[in-house]
Parts: sequence; C-alpha cells; structure tokens
Amino acid sequence: MRGLPILLQKEFREAWRSWKFLWIPLVFAILGMSDPLTNYYMMDILHAVGNLPEGFDIQLPEFVPADLLQASIGQFQMIGLLVLLASFIGSISKERANGTATLLYVRSISFSAYFISKFLVISAIGFVSAVAGFAASVYYTTVLYGNFEIGTLLACFVTYFIWLLLVIAVILMMSATFNTMIAATGAFIVIFIGQFLTILWDFLPWSLPSNGVLLIRDMMYMQDYWWSMFMTVMFTIISIAIGIVMMKKNTSMVKI
Amino acid sequence: MMEELAKIPWAVIAPLIVVQLVLMIVALIDLRRIHTTNGPKILWVLIILFANLLGPILYFIIGRKQS
Amino acid sequence: MTIVLEVKGLTKQFADKVVVHPLEFTLKSNTSTALIGPNGAGKTTTLSMLTGLLKPTAGAIQIAKGDIGFLPQYPQFYPWLSALEFTEMAAKLSGLPTKTAKLEAQKTLEFVGLGDVLHKKIATFSGGMKQRLGISQAIVHKPKLLLLDEPVSALDPIGRREVMNVLKDLQQETTILYSTHILNDAEEMTDQLLFLRDGQLVEQGTLSEVRQRFDEPNYIVEFYSAKEAQLFASHFIGEVRGCSVYITIQDERPNMNELFECLNNNSFQVRKVERQTASLEEIFMKVVDRA
Repeated sequence: MRGLPILLQKEFREAWRSWKFLWIPLVFAILGMSDPLTNYYMMDILHAVGNLPEGFDIQLPEFVPADLLQASIGQFQMIGLLVLLASFIGSISKERANGTATLLYVRSISFSAYFISKFLVISAIGFVSAVAGFAASVYYTTVLYGNFEIGTLLACFVTYFIWLLLVIAVILMMSATFNTMIAATGAFIVIFIGQFLTILWDFLPWSLPSNGVLLIRDMMYMQDYWWSMFMTVMFTIISIAIGIVMMKKNTSMVKI
Repeated sequence: MMEELAKIPWAVIAPLIVVQLVLMIVALIDLRRIHTTNGPKILWVLIILFANLLGPILYFIIGRKQS
Repeated sequence: MTIVLEVKGLTKQFADKVVVHPLEFTLKSNTSTALIGPNGAGKTTTLSMLTGLLKPTAGAIQIAKGDIGFLPQYPQFYPWLSALEFTEMAAKLSGLPTKTAKLEAQKTLEFVGLGDVLHKKIATFSGGMKQRLGISQAIVHKPKLLLLDEPVSALDPIGRREVMNVLKDLQQETTILYSTHILNDAEEMTDQLLFLRDGQLVEQGTLSEVRQRFDEPNYIVEFYSAKEAQLFASHFIGEVRGCSVYITIQDERPNMNELFECLNNNSFQVRKVERQTASLEEIFMKVVDRA
C-alpha cells in the first residue's frame, strides 16, 4: 500500500477541481426534494396545468413520511446511480486509454493503493451525495407530511450508503477490467438489471435500499435484512479484490 | 396572474430554486474557466441555462474535456 | 564501468506478427545510446518492454536496481495539476521522502526551464513545455537509467535545441537510452548506436566504429578550377566531379606518398585533400536498404 496518501491526494484534487464534490451532491439534493414537493402539490399542479373536466377529482392516496423517502430513494436509484456511473466509469479505463496512467504505472506503484485511493475518494463523494439527498428529502417530507423517527431514519441512511459502496466498487472493478464502453455496459447490467432480482428475493444486495425503508416502516424481516447486508459487504470486498487484480493485469493496456 | 403568483408557496420552494441556481452557476463558472469543451462553448451555455436540471448534469458528464 | 542494463533474447510478438526479434545489448553506466530506425522498426515496443509496461514474449531484461525514468513519445498529464504538483507527485511515487520531494521537484523544473511556471496548470502548457515537464518527471528521482522515446521529434528547432542541451547536461550523471529518427541528434549525443530495422538489431557499436564499417575508401582532392582537376586526372586515376577528383584507395591506412608526389611534381594548387566520411544519414540509408 505504498503511496496511498499521495494517490489519495491526487484523486481528491481531481474530484475537487472538477467540482465533483459539489455538483453530484447538488444533483442528489434536487432529486431528494422533487418527490415530496411534487406529490404535495400534485393537485395544484393538475389544476394549474388545467383542462380538468368539471367536477373531476382524483383521490390521491394518503402518504406517510416513509412513502416519500422511498420515492426519493427511487430517484437516487435511477438518476443518481446513472450520474455516478457516468461520472466514474472511466476512472481507471480512461486513464489507461488517454495515456495519463503511463507516467504512474511506470513507477513501482502499488495497484492496491491506487485502486483503494479511487474507491475512498469516490465513496466520500457518494457519502456527501447521500447526505445531501436524504437531508433534502427528509426536510421537505418533515415540513409537508410529518416526522421521522430518528433512529430508524439513520439506519435507513447507513443502509443506503453501504449499498452505494457496492455500486462504486462495481463501477471501479468494471473500469479496471474493461475499456470504458464495455465497462459502462457491464456496470449498468450488474447495477440496474440486477434490481429485477429483488422481485423474487429480499436477501440480495439489490434489496438493500428498499430494506432500509422497511426498517422505518418497522416491517423488515431482520434475518433477510442481515443477509442482504452481509452479501452486499461481501460483494463489495470481492469487487475490490477483482478490481485490483485486473488493474494490475491490464497494465499493458496503457497507451504509450 | 399576480394572484396566481401570490398563491405559490415561495417559502417552501425557495430551497429547490436556490439549489438549482447554485448548480447552474457552478457549471457556468467551470465552463468559463475550462480550456476546451466537447462541442462549442456557446452551445453548453444554452444547454446549462435552458435544459433545467439536466443541463448542468450533461455539461459535467460529457461537456468537460479533460486532457 | 558497471552495466546498467542487460538485454538478452528480448522478443515481442503480437498475434502472429513478430514486432521485435531477439535483441541483445548492454548499456554501461553514464553512457548515452541512440536507438535508431525508421518508423515501425520496433523502437517504441522495445522501450515499452524495458519500462515493464509491456510484457515481452520471450527474453530477459536485467536492470540495475533503482527506479527508471521514462518519457513516452507523447507524454500525457493531468491537466488539473500544476507543473510542481505533478513533478512532486512523480517524485514521491518513485520513493523520494516527502520532505525532499517538493524541493527536488522545484530544482528539476528549474533545470528543464520551467522555473517560471511552477504553479501554472498543465492545461495551459504548450507542446514544448509538456515535453520539458515530461523530462522533469523522468529525472526528478535521479534514476540510474533514463529511457526516452523520441524526446525531441515533436519540437520545433528552438525547443529541440533546448531539450538537447538539457539531455547533454544529464549525460554525465545517468545512463540514457533514447530512440530517434532524427540523425543529427544521434550524431550529437551518443556513445553507442543501435540500428533497428523490422524489429531486428542490424547494426551496433560506437559512432566511430559504425562509421569505420561504412567508410568508403574514397579520397577527395579539391582544386581551384575544374580545368586543374581534369589535368590532375590525366596523371592519376580518379573520377572528376567539378573541381574535385575522387580517388579510391583500398588500404585501410594507405600510404599517400604516390598521391602527394604526383601533386608535388606537377605543382598543382590544391585547395584540400580529405577522406570522405559517411554521415550518419548515409549510413542509415545503407543500413535500411541493405535487405
């Protein structure tokens, strides 16, 4: 792990100077605000857009705070993850393809340190983004609908952040293994298509985000919860391990 | 019209507007500082200003040119 | 003199195309060696294998311990770092302690002529500045072996002059192997020449050794007028070209008495007498053509 602090500094500088620490959390914040707001003002919006037939009235379901947080997490799961995927899928593969990695790989650097430094910095961005997204959603939900219980809310947040760690590990592993195009396709399949498996089972990593919400609703079957948590952590560690091995193996893919 | 505007709960949606504005301004500042973009800069100004939330996102993901 | 690099049977094959045939050579410490060859001869592939970035198909590379320094033909940098930040990072990654890294980076940048732009972002750099930054990252940790791929080919004459001067200063303290297809550079700064053609080492040795091998046994006697040259040719076997007469003497160290007697006896007015030496460019053409 020689050189970790130096590589961390490099990754941090890149993320900071390309505004990633700012713009990605802002996007998550907007995503978090949108569902509580639009749902609350749905009737007004429908009336404003107009052309509703006389006497037309739809009965909107009564929402509890957990419903809105769940909707916000749904936004993070679609647009949020797409933003993370698009922003970081080239982290390793693009550096190889454009030749910037050459001057680093030619030194006897530790690939573990290099991979981990990227993982840590992106995870930090993921953390700030999750905080921003949750804070925005919870703020509007509290103002417009009602309060959360702080304990389960925090548990839900931590659960979601751990899921994000897996997403980031998968993105980096794909980037270490393939060129950017194939990596993007691969990561997309694993992260998004895998979510269909949650229809069948509750104990897979893809169930973790919704399992977090079930904690708030106090409807989680805890054995499934811990299984999904355990598998997520395992998959994350495995992804990181494969990523480091492949990054080293693909040294000769650098443009010289 | 004025009546309609007055009915909008500004106190509630102000944070959303502020965050959107900050995102837009950050994108514009970066666009001004950056050396080259993928595609003409003026096009990105328009996208950032008028494509709402998507504009700044698109700019940061595909507009910025590194190296 | 210690040996810094020893290459034995180094081979590279892509699919079924052999790009580098078994290469054998050694580099002694504090010498500079030019790797010469036309485009596509396998120069970059050879250097890439020496850096460790490309795995050889077969063969052994032995490098005296210590990090190497490498400058690719088109070095690519992170545009969001400053020259100092990048060089300092390179120094630290090559094992320089944090305390000295910054100082060394600063000294090196001043040495390559980037002292005024230490804190400028690399995004704003010109091609020549990037090339010099590339050299600074390659030498900042004082490597025993410096590998440079076409270090000056992309530069204009002024930039080329500056970079050549930097390299010449480095010659005293490090072993340099550089590829080039610009022969003036090689002629100017080289202890050893390696000619590569179609991935094969077709000629090697010091500049004077190679020259001797390709020297033609031609002497040129130049007169002040063409008439005099023709007159001389009637006394001595040779080929007249303008004011000069080309004489072939096969001995390696010929006795010139006959020639000078002839000149003396007939009171010719001679402008100069010289042995024709092949320029590196002529040697290069011969090596390339010699199929």
